[in-house]
Amino acid sequence: METLKEILAPDFLLRNSVYTSVLVGFACPLVGVFLVLRRLVFMGVALPQVSSTGVAVALSLPVWLHLGAAPHGSNGQTGHLLALAGSTLFTLLAILSLAFMERRGRGLPEGRLGTVYVVATAASILLLSKNRVAEAGWLDLLKGEIITISDFDLKLTAIALALVLCVLGWFHKEILFVSFDRSMAATLGKKVVFWDAALYLLIGLTVSIAVLSVGPLIAFGFLLIPALTAHLFSRTMRQFVIGASLLGGLTSFLGFWLAYSADLPVGPTDVVLLGAVYLICGVLNRVLIGWKSVQRL
Amino acid sequence: MSEPLLTLDQLAIGYDGHVVLSGISLVISRGSFTALLGANGTGKSTLLKTILGLQPAVAGRIELHAAPGRALIFGYVPQATQFDPLYPLTGFDVALMGAYGRVGPGRWPGRGERDFVRDCLQATGAAGFADRKFSQLSGGQKQRVLIARALAARPDILVLDEPTAGVDVKATRVLLEFITQIHQERSLTVLLVTHDLPLVRKHAQRILWLHDGRALHGTVAELFTPERMAEIFEVEAG
Repeated sequence: METLKEILAPDFLLRNSVYTSVLVGFACPLVGVFLVLRRLVFMGVALPQVSSTGVAVALSLPVWLHLGAAPHGSNGQTGHLLALAGSTLFTLLAILSLAFMERRGRGLPEGRLGTVYVVATAASILLLSKNRVAEAGWLDLLKGEIITISDFDLKLTAIALALVLCVLGWFHKEILFVSFDRSMAATLGKKVVFWDAALYLLIGLTVSIAVLSVGPLIAFGFLLIPALTAHLFSRTMRQFVIGASLLGGLTSFLGFWLAYSADLPVGPTDVVLLGAVYLICGVLNRVLIGWKSVQRL
Repeated sequence: MSEPLLTLDQLAIGYDGHVVLSGISLVISRGSFTALLGANGTGKSTLLKTILGLQPAVAGRIELHAAPGRALIFGYVPQATQFDPLYPLTGFDVALMGAYGRVGPGRWPGRGERDFVRDCLQATGAAGFADRKFSQLSGGQKQRVLIARALAARPDILVLDEPTAGVDVKATRVLLEFITQIHQERSLTVLLVTHDLPLVRKHAQRILWLHDGRALHGTVAELFTPERMAEIFEVEAG
């Protein structure tokens, strides 16, 4: 309890990390819901990795251009903005290309996503092996070390995620309609390509911000596991979206508390906690279904 | 002759420039009941998608005769089996989508629209299970919800793509009786895609029969002759 009081205190040294972690926890499941519904779970794995490749390229750019290394984290807003630009650009290019290929319906989607994932990981390692300074920042990201978050990083994360929340909330009807029944939406005059693109842009932006703030591991965890867990108990879209978001936000806070108390890395703690919640809820769901079946007999 | 609603003029359909079927000419009149018949792979779905504007025609043209100043509205009823059961939507949520065509981006259907959707669910006999999860409804129940959704669009023409696929015999009969009933009561134009000949004989007025790269068009009496049937099924008449 003492640790909890410490974390909640306004002068807590790592308060920006707590806020960022909780923001990402709340926001990622909102787009994760659509990744699950559109059966794009593998995209949720590949995109954070592509995003971190974008970060690697961005962090390497100053070295390639002989401008010196761009500082990452709390010391450099330029470095952070550069990394955000790299992350967003790479994520959007990847998601739009993958979506285009998906629409053409040729080849094996899982194969494409698997290839993108492994090539992105390898490319990041190759890029950063030649850039020692940038490598340190990137490794922090990869491990989910979210202890050095500046006020600027926090504001940027909050603004970007608020934008995602507003657009997604405002146009939820259109995005859901196009996802559920594309043909009907088109016959009723909805611009299906536009709404698809809007959803992909939101996913891309969320992934970029999440990867930059908390790393690809936690981004992937929060994109998918809260949505999968909430889906077990949801009867309506409202329950699904709100349940997933609340679960993400709450777990990220609990994860931070647990990690801080036990001196563990925050990212992996969050993800393991999410996994444990999913497992418990899965078992509980099976028990409930079994119990209802017995009652009907 | 009754007022035309939709005209297909020397239409050629297909994918990526590859023609599946050509020379389709047909007038669908307002208030008519037309069945689109044909075996699997004859181009029924391609023709339907082309009529609905979901894919471009390879050649020819489609004329939509809507009222001045507005677009022709299709009440599209797809096969119930095509929907992903992952979506946590109730029957009402699905039916409400029919009203989305009249509601602009970023706005939600108001009370009037929601009441109208409830009326549509009532009319299709789906009100009793509209609050249940759509994915957990039976094939026949899903089709009723989907027809309610199509009616909620206030359509000029109801387009049904094999609505009895995955539906048991009894529910099929009830469903077709119901479609015929709303066609008659509301003078609603119906275009029904099916391969169920007895149902077509009983309910449809006109038929477009896709067979062997050709589109045969006529009334039930004209096409359901022993000679035509023998030609289509490649057996000797008699």
